[in-house]
Amino acid sequence: MLTSLLRVISLLLPALIPSWRFFKTVAPSPRVEYRVIAGPGALDWCEDRPRPQDISVPTILWRMLWNPDWNEQLFLVSCAERMIEEPSQHSLDEILTRVARLLPVGEGLLQIRLVFISRDGEALVKSVEYESEPVPLSRIKGRAA
Amino acid sequence: MSFETTLRLMEILLGLAIAQQSLEHVKPGQLAGNHRVLFALRLALALSMVVGYSAPYGLYGLWVVALWMLHRFQGPYNGGSDKMTLLILTCLCLVELAPDRYWQEMALSYLAVQLVLSYFVSGWVKVMNPIWRNGSALRDVFRYSAYPVSESFRQWADSPRVLWIMGWGVMLLELAFPLALLNPAALKLALVCTAGFHFANACFFGLNRFFWIWLCAYPALIWFQDRIF
Repeated sequence: MLTSLLRVISLLLPALIPSWRFFKTVAPSPRVEYRVIAGPGALDWCEDRPRPQDISVPTILWRMLWNPDWNEQLFLVSCAERMIEEPSQHSLDEILTRVARLLPVGEGLLQIRLVFISRDGEALVKSVEYESEPVPLSRIKGRAA
Repeated sequence: MSFETTLRLMEILLGLAIAQQSLEHVKPGQLAGNHRVLFALRLALALSMVVGYSAPYGLYGLWVVALWMLHRFQGPYNGGSDKMTLLILTCLCLVELAPDRYWQEMALSYLAVQLVLSYFVSGWVKVMNPIWRNGSALRDVFRYSAYPVSESFRQWADSPRVLWIMGWGVMLLELAFPLALLNPAALKLALVCTAGFHFANACFFGLNRFFWIWLCAYPALIWFQDRIF
C-alpha cells in the first residue's frame, strides 16, 4: 500500500512540476512486432497495427473528437519505451493484452518483440531490443476478459 | 476577463476535454469492465462540471480519478496531455481550497506561468540542439518516428527545406511566446498561432487530446495578462 502510494506520488510530481522538454531529441522509435507460434493461426513476425497508407481529411477531422485506437497505439509506444528504460511486468502485460485482443485466433503461443528504428547517417537502422517469452494466447485472452 | 468568468470558462472547457478523453476509454474492448465503469464515472463528473452542477466536488472527484489513472497505467496514458489535465485539475482544486483571494490567484497564476513555460522551455531545448537548428530533427520525426498517422505523411521527410522553415517557425513561436504577455492583442494572436500549432500536431501525429487540453488553460493566461500587465 505504502509502496503504491509512493509510486503514485512519484508519478504525480512530474505533472505538477513539468519539464516541458517535448522532442528535445528524436530518440530511436519503437515498433511492436508479434508472432503466433503453433496452433491453427500460426503467424511469422509482423508489425502490430501498421499505419494506413493514406487517411482522408474527414477522418483526420473526425479524429479530433474520436481517436481511441490511435491513442491506444501511442500508449503502446510508451509501454515499449518503458520496457527498455524501466522494464516491468505491467508494461509487458499491457502490450501482450492489447496485441492479443486484436488477434482473431485464440490458440497458440504469442510472442512479442520491440524493434527500435533509428538513423545512422542517411540510412534507417532497425534493432531488436527486447523479445518476450512465448505466452499461451488463451491465458492472455482469459486474463483480459 | 474577471476571475470568476475565467474559472467558469475553464471548468466548461476542461469538462468537455475530459469527457472526450473518457469516452475514448469507455469504448468496449480496450479495458476491463470495472475500469470502464470508472471512466464512465469520470465522464459523468466531467459533464456535471460543464453544466455547473457539481463544483467543487466534481473537480475533487476528477482529481482522485486522475490519481487512479496514474496508478492504473503506471504513468500517463497519453503523455503530456494527461500531465496537463492533471496540472489544470490540481490548480482549479487549489483555487477551491484556497483560504482567500490572494492564494486563489496564486494557484491560477501558477497554471498561467506553466503554460508560458510549456512553450518557452520546449522552444529553448529545441533551439539549443543542432539537429533542430539544421532541420534534421523534424525530418526524422516524419521519416521514422511513431507519430505520423499515415505512411503518406512520411513523404514530408523528402521536403527538407519546407521542414526547416516549419521547424524554425515553431521554435520562434515558442521562444517569442512570453513576449506576447506585454500586449493583450499580441497574446490573443499568439494563442491563435499556438492553437494552430496544436491543431497541426493533431492532424499529422494524431495528438488530438493535446489540442483540447491546452486550449483549456488559455483563459488562465488571458486573465493573468490582464491582472499583471
